[in-house]
Amino acid sequence: MNQTFDLNRWWLLVGKHWSENRKKYILSLIAITGLLLVWFFFVVAIDNYRPLKFEVQVATYFFGLILVGCLYSSLFFGDLASKSKGINYLTVPASHFEKMLCALFFATIAFLICYTAIFYMLDIVMVKVSNAIAYSNWQKNHEVGEIFEPDEVMNIFTAEQKGNNSHNIFHYLFLVYFTLQSAFILGSVYFPKFSFIKTVITLLLIALFFSFFMAKVIPAFMPEGNYYRALTSYNFYSGNNDPGKIVILPEWINTFLEFLIKFALAPIFWLATYFRLKEKEI
Amino acid sequence: MIDIQNLHFAYRKKPVFTGLSLQLQPGHIYGLLGKNGTGKSTLLRNIAGLLFPDKGKIEVLGFNPGQRQPSFLQEVFMVPEEFHLPDVPLQYLLHHLAPFYPKFNKTQFDQYISEFEIPADSTLQNMSYGQKKKVLISFGLASNASMLLMDEPTNGLDIMSKSQFRKVMAGALNENKCIVISTHQVKDLENLIDRITIIDQGKILFDQTIDAISRKLSFRISFDSEEVKQSLYSESSLRGNAIITANTEGEESKLDLELLYKAIILNGPSIHSVFKA
Repeated sequence: MNQTFDLNRWWLLVGKHWSENRKKYILSLIAITGLLLVWFFFVVAIDNYRPLKFEVQVATYFFGLILVGCLYSSLFFGDLASKSKGINYLTVPASHFEKMLCALFFATIAFLICYTAIFYMLDIVMVKVSNAIAYSNWQKNHEVGEIFEPDEVMNIFTAEQKGNNSHNIFHYLFLVYFTLQSAFILGSVYFPKFSFIKTVITLLLIALFFSFFMAKVIPAFMPEGNYYRALTSYNFYSGNNDPGKIVILPEWINTFLEFLIKFALAPIFWLATYFRLKEKEI
Repeated sequence: MIDIQNLHFAYRKKPVFTGLSLQLQPGHIYGLLGKNGTGKSTLLRNIAGLLFPDKGKIEVLGFNPGQRQPSFLQEVFMVPEEFHLPDVPLQYLLHHLAPFYPKFNKTQFDQYISEFEIPADSTLQNMSYGQKKKVLISFGLASNASMLLMDEPTNGLDIMSKSQFRKVMAGALNENKCIVISTHQVKDLENLIDRITIIDQGKILFDQTIDAISRKLSFRISFDSEEVKQSLYSESSLRGNAIITANTEGEESKLDLELLYKAIILNGPSIHSVFKA
């Protein structure tokens, strides 16, 4: 028997998790639907002309995805806070790796799919409603020659809008989602109680420490000057008339750091979650 | 089956075990007795891989419990004192949890549930604490795990349920199974266990089979003040004086587990001297 991963055993674990949590999950999805609906109606009510323009849809989708996704992730290993639930969880005959993958399946993939499906279900309808309202207002009050431009349903997969090449920011927002969400999963194993708040505080402290380190500690060891455009290039200058000299670290360091921040943080957090789960005692 | 060597374990700076060694074999029901806070539950959780020893070695069925490998977990079932069962119908439990245990037997489960008088079509959400505990015990027994660890299993059970528990447990043992029951309610284990292990202050205070105890000790009620004075332990009651004496005549007496437990805690050296002789 494979002690690390067995597809059949993992699928059993997924089925067990679903059977035990499905009521809670279905109610949560209904609540998300309700909140999004309230928000859409609020936006349509306060803006009579272009209530669901591209930017509003983008902000709604990603704000909800990141906030609710992190909140859900921070609760995933909440059972470990309770002795009885923790014993029940840790003694289920599946490996830590399978338990970790089960968490990723629900908190990352299943949530993303469900949230996106709910968003589109509402967005498609609400964009039509909003266009109808906007068209009606345009008919009542528009200047000669003014053309009505209906809003379109945004596409998160191509993330393109007519005349607006903003796909890069979308790409980054998804990376932000995966990274933050994995950090909150790790937080739920580290801080079984008040996990969300504690993870937020920890992330803020890390960000604060990093900012302080880069802004105060590193310059203290450097000649006079400042960072130039990126943290991997530094402009040295000695006075007002000095044009300065820019020193740029090798390109591979830049590439490596960019790769690390964009793609490696989430897997690192997943790995840390796995080891934390492995060493968990109750 | 379970081999514990020189176990050291502490909660932060509070030591619980300082060099505990113990061997348990299949085909027995072990009674782990001791006062509250002596480390019974801690020992069970170390055996189950839920706590890791600070020092020493625990080997269960050839596994290191701390690694919590699936092959180990499907052979060890724990009924904790504080347990959790999801609020799902009983059939869901069978459908989604039972497949993790390759030796799970549904017929056995139905039989235990029936003996415990739990309706098979009920939902765990609507059950009382005692009923849920009986479901967990039934599930553990039907899982046919080689090692069944039970922490205060009779807590929360009413008088009839305790009797059902003893009946079910007595029929559940086989030569491949090892059952460890930890409790401070020693009366509940009478006629059930075949070896008694008493833990006190993190050490094994007493560890004997029921056969050995019956051979070496005699339990009876006495009105003879001289006999009471000579006894290894005595306790006055309305019926007379309950006493424990060395069984020199080879007579058969009914083991009074509670009396034995008190005798070991309060007058351990004199009891031990009988077994050393």
